[in-house]
Amino acid sequence: MSQNDNKNQGVDLGEFVEFYLLDSQEQIEKLGAGLLQLEKEGGNIGLINDLFRSAHSLKGASGTMGFTPIVALTHAAEDLLDHLRQGKMDVSLEMIDVLLAVTDRVKAMLAQVEQREEISIEFQDLASTMRELLDGEIAVEAKDPQIPQAEAEEVAKFVPQNFELTPDELEKVSDAQSLGHGVYQIDVKLGPNTLMKAVRAVMATQRLEGIGSVIKLVPSIEDLEVGNGEEFYMLVNCDEPREEIRRELLEISELVDVVVHLYPNLNSPEEANLEEDKKVEKTPGIDLEAAPETASNTIAEEKVVKPAVVQKAKVEPKIVAKTSGANEAIQGEGNTQVHTIRVDTVRMDNLINLVGEMVITRTRLVQIGLDLKAQYSTDVMVNNLNEANVYLGRLMNDLQESVMRLRMVAIGTVFNRFPRLVRDLAKKTGKEIDLVLKGEDTELDKTVVEVIGDPLMHLIRNSVDHGIESPEDRKAAGKSEVGTITLNAYHEGNHIAILISDDGAGLDLEKIRTKAVAKGLIGEREELSERDIANLIFLPGFSTADVVTDISGRGVGMDVVKKALNNLGGMVDITTRKGKGSTFTIRLPLTLAIIQALLVEVGQEIYAVPLSSVLETLLVSREDIKTVGGLPMVQLRGNTLPLISLQEKFDLPTPEDESSEVFVVVVGFGDKALGLIVDELRGQQEVVIKSLGDFLTNLPGIAGATILGDGKVTLILDIGSLIQDVLVTRRS
Amino acid sequence: MAEEQLVTFSLGSEEFGVDIMRVQEIIRIPPITRVPKAEDYIEGVINLRGNVIPVISLRTRFGMSRVEETDLSRIVVLQVQSKVFGVRVDAVTEVLRLDSEAIEPPPPIALGMDSQFIRGVGKIGERLLILLDLDHIMGGELSHDVSA
Repeated sequence: MSQNDNKNQGVDLGEFVEFYLLDSQEQIEKLGAGLLQLEKEGGNIGLINDLFRSAHSLKGASGTMGFTPIVALTHAAEDLLDHLRQGKMDVSLEMIDVLLAVTDRVKAMLAQVEQREEISIEFQDLASTMRELLDGEIAVEAKDPQIPQAEAEEVAKFVPQNFELTPDELEKVSDAQSLGHGVYQIDVKLGPNTLMKAVRAVMATQRLEGIGSVIKLVPSIEDLEVGNGEEFYMLVNCDEPREEIRRELLEISELVDVVVHLYPNLNSPEEANLEEDKKVEKTPGIDLEAAPETASNTIAEEKVVKPAVVQKAKVEPKIVAKTSGANEAIQGEGNTQVHTIRVDTVRMDNLINLVGEMVITRTRLVQIGLDLKAQYSTDVMVNNLNEANVYLGRLMNDLQESVMRLRMVAIGTVFNRFPRLVRDLAKKTGKEIDLVLKGEDTELDKTVVEVIGDPLMHLIRNSVDHGIESPEDRKAAGKSEVGTITLNAYHEGNHIAILISDDGAGLDLEKIRTKAVAKGLIGEREELSERDIANLIFLPGFSTADVVTDISGRGVGMDVVKKALNNLGGMVDITTRKGKGSTFTIRLPLTLAIIQALLVEVGQEIYAVPLSSVLETLLVSREDIKTVGGLPMVQLRGNTLPLISLQEKFDLPTPEDESSEVFVVVVGFGDKALGLIVDELRGQQEVVIKSLGDFLTNLPGIAGATILGDGKVTLILDIGSLIQDVLVTRRS
Repeated sequence: MAEEQLVTFSLGSEEFGVDIMRVQEIIRIPPITRVPKAEDYIEGVINLRGNVIPVISLRTRFGMSRVEETDLSRIVVLQVQSKVFGVRVDAVTEVLRLDSEAIEPPPPIALGMDSQFIRGVGKIGERLLILLDLDHIMGGELSHDVSA
């Protein structure tokens, strides 16, 4: 088989490629995570079995699809793992390196497949390295290139037809398969000049109806009538042996060839039986729920298995749809039952939007109820209405919570890519580092999960590069030579906190201060707490590279990290102790879709303040507001609270008669607090965050919009940016 | 291609036309929420059946003076490259068909407005119809030689 056969030419495998990719990417992630664990814990037979299984099903699926280079690599990897499994070899660092290289290479190949490109990545070098690792006797066997390729050829013969099955038909297929009936794809070849091809197809159908049932025929009778193809394909459900089916069909005249294939089982995406690995019918996972056109990266799956060990893989960085029993972890012998379904994210978003609309409508109902009550306070029916409203409200809360939970993903899906990152970085920098993951089960909204990866990666890189010292330095400082980086996540109110701590050298605050003064970011005699100094590294233009350590910096500045987090409504903070290490704390909202808000009135306008940032509300007499350096302040329990007037901030006209007292909404973001001067408080309400659209982005102080019960649009304040604004003004 | 179907509306004494395929609907003026710090031609945002969409004041966009809302004032909801937004106009006048041959390229000095908004000028007898280039109404930087 030559390189040119990397794809099954002329056959539309598009539908299957998506499934194949989804499945293979999952397997390769599993393999990668497992290998790291293997490196750490040494030969654990269960683990090696898992790895072997992953490599094996990758090989099988790739063979079915005809991706020979992947087959070659995974086959060799499988051989290696097989030797480990049988105890013929011991786990070595060299071997782990090679196998990790294989996962990287296969990932790159899968990326090419995803791009619908020919696989052009070199694989012979790795394959031969692996062969060298195997001992002499078996090396001969493995060297024989016929083994992987012949197998690939054999399995490639079965070309799954795109039957374009309707949901009904799919159901028939999967029902039959789950009941243990045989479902076959039959390739029928007609003689070159057969007349009335449609009739042959009808005859074939009739014959098969005698012993089973025909689910689908392609091309259709009508198309056969007019077309000039010489083949047709049938999907049948039949309990007769394949030979019998074939014989039955061959009795029809002018059918030249009939091949009966077992149709891929729709119910078991994972290949179950290792003993049958020579069977032809291996297929990638086929998923009933997902529409074929769904891009693989929008589909979701989540393992329900609680990680037994710290780094046990939870592979898919995607969304979750758990069934009710999902929380009971099901532990199996390596192969675990997954109680999840995959749902197209579009469908889910639609559901969430609908619930959002319902929340708005309910708010409206409540308003109507109150209005009625004001007018007909004694009417029993009005009271009944309001009671029903209260009950509806409770149901809505539950419904909303349940729907929001659908979007919740364990943060472990993000954490899992870091062990490899740390391992590689540590190797490169000559350091020894342990990465400890905690709280991987902590759930947060998928929208947050999707974007949190990069900022986290930068912070971890930073910890490895600048935080942890070299083994010699650590020894000299009386610490263990192995540095530890801990990644921890937990819920904190309706926020999630993510901590990245290292036990390294800590930040050199004196150096940061000197640098900040030199850059004119702070005044020479400005008094700053240690924490404030540490947080200076988040200012734009503050290069970490030549300040904190002398390693020339790669990656992005800390200000980019901070900005990315701020955009999500989150924040980051540092605490550091010289010689003991540093901790970066990230706080993020759990969801970005529905929030509790405090409605405030400013002039004629109403704004929504996210309740999560509201600390308290005050009634302040205007006389108590002092202006310091042109900016209003108020004394609050002995501390100075900076204020901003929303009326000025948002260019509203100054009313003619100012009241002597104003409301101040004290908002906090991290340890920073700010008072917003408003005219009235309108009470708290649940609001659905809506985007202002593509045209209105990056408005200072505005995070989004929402629709109130009366149908009017209200803007939601962006507390983070307001506070930052004030801090910047104050500093300059 | 011989014919174009247009929705026409007026701003003061000028008459404008937009391709009917871009018009999603025409609505009366609902409560508009002002958006602080947005471009001055953005009048605010409205609730269009649960979606928040921006509304542009075409008068401000074209450098014309503001007028009070009347019974005839409307918002024309447009869809351009899958983005939905509304433009506020003085009145919607009619829907008409225009022969492609009756459309001329915009004159070099375009009627006191920036020519980037203009796709052409249509002639119906004595009437002049300014055909709008919708791609530039939102976004697209205004050049500064616009006055009046």
